[in-house]
Amino acid sequence: MSSSSQTEIRHIRPYVHYHCGCPDVNKSSVSLETENGETFNINSPRIQFSTFSISKLYFCDDCHQIRCPRCVQEEIVCYYCPNCLFEVPTASVKSERNRCARNCFQCPICQNTLSVLPSSEPQPPPSPISPTTVPTVSATGAPYYLSCGVCRWDSQEIGMTFEKATGLALQLQKTEDERPDVKEFDHLKDHFEKHIRLNTPSTALPSSLLSIPGMSSFSSRYGGTVANSQQKSDDVVPYEAVAKVETESGLVDDLVQLKDVNQITTLSQRMNQLSDQPYKVERLQPQRIHLRTKRVKRCRSCRHILIKPEQKAQATRFKIKLVALNSIPKITIASLPKLILNQRTQIVLKFSNPLYEEISVNLAIQEETNECGKVTILAPHFNITPYNEVWEYDEQDLVASRSRTASNSIGIYERRGNSTSIMFEITPLAEVEEFKFPLLVTYTSKNIENNENENVTAVEKSLEETSSLKATSGEPATDGSTKTLSFWTVIGLGSVIKAPPGTSGTMVAGPRSEPSGSSKGSTRGSTGGSSSVRK
Amino acid sequence: MEPPIVYYHRSEYIETDTGNKVSRKSVICGSQNIILGGKTIIQTDCVIRGDLRRTGGGHAVVVAIGRYCLLARGSIIRPPYKTYKGIFSYYPMKIGDHVTIGEGSIVEAATIGSFVHIGKNCVIGRFAIIKDCCRIEDNTVIPPNTVVPSFSIYEGSPGAFVDELPECVQDLYESKTKDYYAKFQPKDS
Repeated sequence: MSSSSQTEIRHIRPYVHYHCGCPDVNKSSVSLETENGETFNINSPRIQFSTFSISKLYFCDDCHQIRCPRCVQEEIVCYYCPNCLFEVPTASVKSERNRCARNCFQCPICQNTLSVLPSSEPQPPPSPISPTTVPTVSATGAPYYLSCGVCRWDSQEIGMTFEKATGLALQLQKTEDERPDVKEFDHLKDHFEKHIRLNTPSTALPSSLLSIPGMSSFSSRYGGTVANSQQKSDDVVPYEAVAKVETESGLVDDLVQLKDVNQITTLSQRMNQLSDQPYKVERLQPQRIHLRTKRVKRCRSCRHILIKPEQKAQATRFKIKLVALNSIPKITIASLPKLILNQRTQIVLKFSNPLYEEISVNLAIQEETNECGKVTILAPHFNITPYNEVWEYDEQDLVASRSRTASNSIGIYERRGNSTSIMFEITPLAEVEEFKFPLLVTYTSKNIENNENENVTAVEKSLEETSSLKATSGEPATDGSTKTLSFWTVIGLGSVIKAPPGTSGTMVAGPRSEPSGSSKGSTRGSTGGSSSVRK
Repeated sequence: MEPPIVYYHRSEYIETDTGNKVSRKSVICGSQNIILGGKTIIQTDCVIRGDLRRTGGGHAVVVAIGRYCLLARGSIIRPPYKTYKGIFSYYPMKIGDHVTIGEGSIVEAATIGSFVHIGKNCVIGRFAIIKDCCRIEDNTVIPPNTVVPSFSIYEGSPGAFVDELPECVQDLYESKTKDYYAKFQPKDS
């Protein structure tokens, strides 16, 4: 939803963010938000951590609830190297220290991917005119070295060369194993493993945690020792370190006399080499590239899988993909004129229905929390026709004809395909950096398969119920054939500017302005069409 | 934010049978070596160097671009080159479907997958491989030989991994490119 060709300069881009109450995360904490009748405060500092754009949200079918990245549980299904894209078996991830054990290295200076180059260019073929003949390579090109394509660093600077061009990590294994931190860790492990074998852990971590490599030994080491600390902790022999931290003598003097800042490493360079964090640039070493993961995502309350990627590292498809984009109405800002102080402006929000069933939507706002201006919904109740694949191919008539079937209903700007566009009236009362307002969206999906007459009444009933519920976000009311869900959204419209001198009156909606329709909407909307949650 | 309708001068663009819209003000070299998948838009001042092809005879596809792609104003597509075993040669470039290349970006990648967004003023280095479902932010420089794995956002100079893309990015970019194509409309006058 990028507005690349938007001419107005705005500091903050317009957005529509959806709120996730994270009922499972916030159970115990003091909630500022929407706990049955409490106000939804968009100025709360918490709000930016609990509102997301729709693309980041998931939808749990079983709970009939929105799930955000904070209220899903992740499990790793596959490890792979982001550079060579080879999948690393879970068993060997631990022994390879979560890094690629092939040919992938990071530049110690600029953290870019290094490439392997031969130090001597292999002989060119005798006749360069005929490239079809395979050139006989006399020189193998050894020794090989690593070279950075960005900062021109190469491993010959630190005297690092390789005999073969493959399996570089294996060739460096020996030096890595001799590092003091690696040695110390192995020694530490040996020391405590004796002890741990005697005390088998009585409390184990949940099995889901055990699937993380290294976690099983962690649980046995820490979880186990904590549980049994009273009985058997006495027989732990005091540990003595084998590796002594070498103090770089004269380092302080060197640093005091430093004249060129490029002679010492930057913080990020040091942090990339955690084993010794050297100050001198010459001691920086290329690091193997960290592995990346593919993860299953589960709903925290019902443990159902929301996202299940395919096992293969290179596949981009998902076996299970329950995202909010395919489940709840998508709201986009269709038209947004400049917001001018104390001027009534009409904006258009487009609601799209991703479901194969018709949905009816109820909108509500909070009056009292909105100090930056007045918001009026001109059409608080409307229906959206179901999604239909046929419309995907119907690209014509987009500009020429707008179906004006909705022109008789108040506040409805346009109906097309599976979307309905609704007009809002905004009167900014304060000159703010960002004009934003909360909007409670309640939608009810009708199941077409059931008896239609019954259905309509049921929907009407549930609509009444939901409007009487008043701002109870996230309470799914499943009533046989209908499903209802309420959620809060925050709509940000960018900055409010002062009126330029000599202009007054009502701004009319957007580039696709329609004077007759919108003026009608505005006059009627101010009298009867508005709806808001009043306490 | 809903993208606005973009109008173009009817006489400026050539529309092919498969729905490609190519600006007459773009520079397309070696058009017999270029394949456009259909419904791809090539805007004003774009350069596609289909003439830079592998040494040696025979017909070869140099630049293959999929469906619903957008080459925005002033973007440059140039096949990558290297000297291998003493022979200088250009290598073909493949671009998948639903790929957006921003204004003023220079692309010398070996492969760009499907559902990729490349921002404005980017430089994609030689033989870079961008897998499916990626986003390159504005003003990013992807160094030569870099591999950008799926579902990543790269930013900075040199470009580095900053974030992961959500799972629904495929649907998002597909609808975005289709929407852009539908709203790229001719206007007389």
